Amino acid sequence: MSQRAKRKFFIAAFIIPTLVFFCVFTLYPIFRGIYISFYDWSGSAKNMDFIGLDNFRELLKDPIIWTAIKNDYFLVVGKVIGILLLATLFAIAITRLNIRGSSFYRVIFFIPNIISVVVIGVLWRYVYNPNMGFINSFLTLFKGEQVQTAWLGQENTAMWSLLWPSIWAGIGFYMILLIAAILSIPSELYEAADLDGASQGRQFWSVTVPLIWEQMKVSILHIVMTTLNGSFIIVWIMTEGGPDNSTQVMGSYLYQMGFRQYHMGYAAAIGVLILILSFITTVVLQRLLRRETIELA
Amino acid sequence: MLKKGLMVCAVLLLALTAACGGGNSGNNGNKPTNAPEPTTDNSSTTEPAAPAGLKGNFEIQYFVGGYGDAWWKEVIEEFQKANPDLKIKQSAGPEINDQMKPRWIQGNPPDVVYIDGKGSNERQMIDDGQLLDLTDFLASATNPDGDKVSDILISQPTAYDGGKNFTLPLVFGSWGIFYDKALFKEKGWAVPTDWASFLAVSEQIKGAGTSPLIHTGVYPYYINGGLIDSAMVAANGGDGSILTKQAALEAGSFSSDAVKTALNQIVELRDKGFIDKGAVSLNHTDSQSQWLQHKAAFIPNGLWLENEMKKDIPAGFDFGFIPSVAQAAGANSIVIPYTNTIAIAKDAKNPDAAKAFLQFVFTKQHAVRWAELTGAIMNVKADLDSSSAGSVVKDAMKFFNSDKTTVAPVAVLNADVEKAKQDATLALTVGKIQPEEWMKRLEDAAAKARK
Repeated sequence: MSQRAKRKFFIAAFIIPTLVFFCVFTLYPIFRGIYISFYDWSGSAKNMDFIGLDNFRELLKDPIIWTAIKNDYFLVVGKVIGILLLATLFAIAITRLNIRGSSFYRVIFFIPNIISVVVIGVLWRYVYNPNMGFINSFLTLFKGEQVQTAWLGQENTAMWSLLWPSIWAGIGFYMILLIAAILSIPSELYEAADLDGASQGRQFWSVTVPLIWEQMKVSILHIVMTTLNGSFIIVWIMTEGGPDNSTQVMGSYLYQMGFRQYHMGYAAAIGVLILILSFITTVVLQRLLRRETIELA
Repeated sequence: MLKKGLMVCAVLLLALTAACGGGNSGNNGNKPTNAPEPTTDNSSTTEPAAPAGLKGNFEIQYFVGGYGDAWWKEVIEEFQKANPDLKIKQSAGPEINDQMKPRWIQGNPPDVVYIDGKGSNERQMIDDGQLLDLTDFLASATNPDGDKVSDILISQPTAYDGGKNFTLPLVFGSWGIFYDKALFKEKGWAVPTDWASFLAVSEQIKGAGTSPLIHTGVYPYYINGGLIDSAMVAANGGDGSILTKQAALEAGSFSSDAVKTALNQIVELRDKGFIDKGAVSLNHTDSQSQWLQHKAAFIPNGLWLENEMKKDIPAGFDFGFIPSVAQAAGANSIVIPYTNTIAIAKDAKNPDAAKAFLQFVFTKQHAVRWAELTGAIMNVKADLDSSSAGSVVKDAMKFFNSDKTTVAPVAVLNADVEKAKQDATLALTVGKIQPEEWMKRLEDAAAKARK
């Protein structure tokens, strides 16, 4: 075998298995999903009726899908702001401010990340429980009368009540990511800033943020993607989209339509919508977050 | 990053399509499915049951959940003894509905299916044309004891599409209102027998600082089954055909005067503050455990409740059951039944054996064994007094046998209308909508489903 052929064989040995897996487990399902979205299919019947774009036309007229999109982006915005703010704060506190027992806090803040989202949902259901939950018991102490607010049952509080556990569950991972980024900044830069008389705040904005921007960007995009595709779990565990569909997100509505109401074609159309919206959101964010990358020479 | 985003989307789609992966071959599933050894002996359908010498393969699919599989194993073993030449295959388990789904889609289903549990829906199977029309068979089927099967059923098979039967109810249960007999005795509260006494005792309970009524807000079909459906039948003069008409999606069936009366009863409970404020956000286990802790006096639920909460029942708690409260004084109580059914696949390879199995199963001895092995009621009029069935079930049996009780027909709504009904009911209980809006939503959903 010639050197050239060897090289090609070597490359192929790595690429082909991956490509096959990618095609079977990623590309095929995507196209299969898109294909199903053009059919009227219950998900269990032998027959599928081709109906063209009818599922998508129906989708536009469906008021619940608009609620779901609104809720999805509510969670996206809420989580990006909440998680990034707190994760950065904790990361700075643990690395830059001399706090005693910082490694202890690092572990504590990371714990929610190793708990399954299902467990988190169940735990927070107890926190929000109107008759026996922590929040209402706490409020009862101050109000003097029994507080019976159904946090997850009122349309004006339900989405906010889903946001806090989502933020709480997400901080740890991004905190670790940012800690690693901050620790890779040479301490000389901070020493020099100190000598120049820069305050901690000034150092944060002028040294830390530019040098960890790449990681922050990754964090934002990752939060956005996982929220658009994964908020299904927390919603399903805590409210199942209720009351009266007010906490439905696209993922939970997809599940509801596909597996509870037997409109698999319609559910696939929602899947395609998620794909499109995720794609658009990522592209837009890529543009918005573009900023000169500062690299250490 | 873009690629990564795409990957994440892809994973989601993967999850979606993996679930319907079997659909791939669904398009060519029209080819005829031949039995390996077709039994052409048609006489077996009319003979008493299990004629000796059934041959070929026979496959039965049954979900294993709260009722376990002891009864199934026992019955199938007996059936095997009666038909030594039949090769029986049991496809069973808690996930069996999902596991067998690809085979139903491909047109290669088992012969007999017990429809229960996660991933199963009787009405959808009928809509998808997967079940055999049993109307003629049920009209004449007899069991090995010589009883006509339809004569000994508690609940008759549900009529679909203008009187056709596709399923035979195997498990029978009832929705209703549950309370703690011990608590009521201790507090001196009277057990309600009609709407007026229900309101009176609720006022008393509320005065004592307890919520009169809690319900499973996340799953509003409990309050539909335990309170609203019986109220609609009661308001309809005890005529259960109102539910059948709704299941048949008849225009106007969701906005009749009886429906309005029933909904106004719920509004009355709501406006008097009898419904627990927190109930809207509770799921079944939350609300049931709060009820067990006496945070509320009544809960609309089904007969499985005692069995389900077995581990959490406090000492001294004594389950009480009332089928309905919405009726006027002196009128009959209304039983809203639920059933789990057994059916034969339209593409069954051995329909004769399947029919013989159904006839074989529906006997009084098997009903007693069912009660003993599962603690629930099989849909056969059998004497359970000596059996080891739970006390609530025996209490309920007394109602079913009483002539002061009307048993409504089992009516299964289309899944879209069912969801609309659940959403509307929950919205009604919290005051987001009024009865007019409830009726409008349901009429709209029914109209859409009719298309």
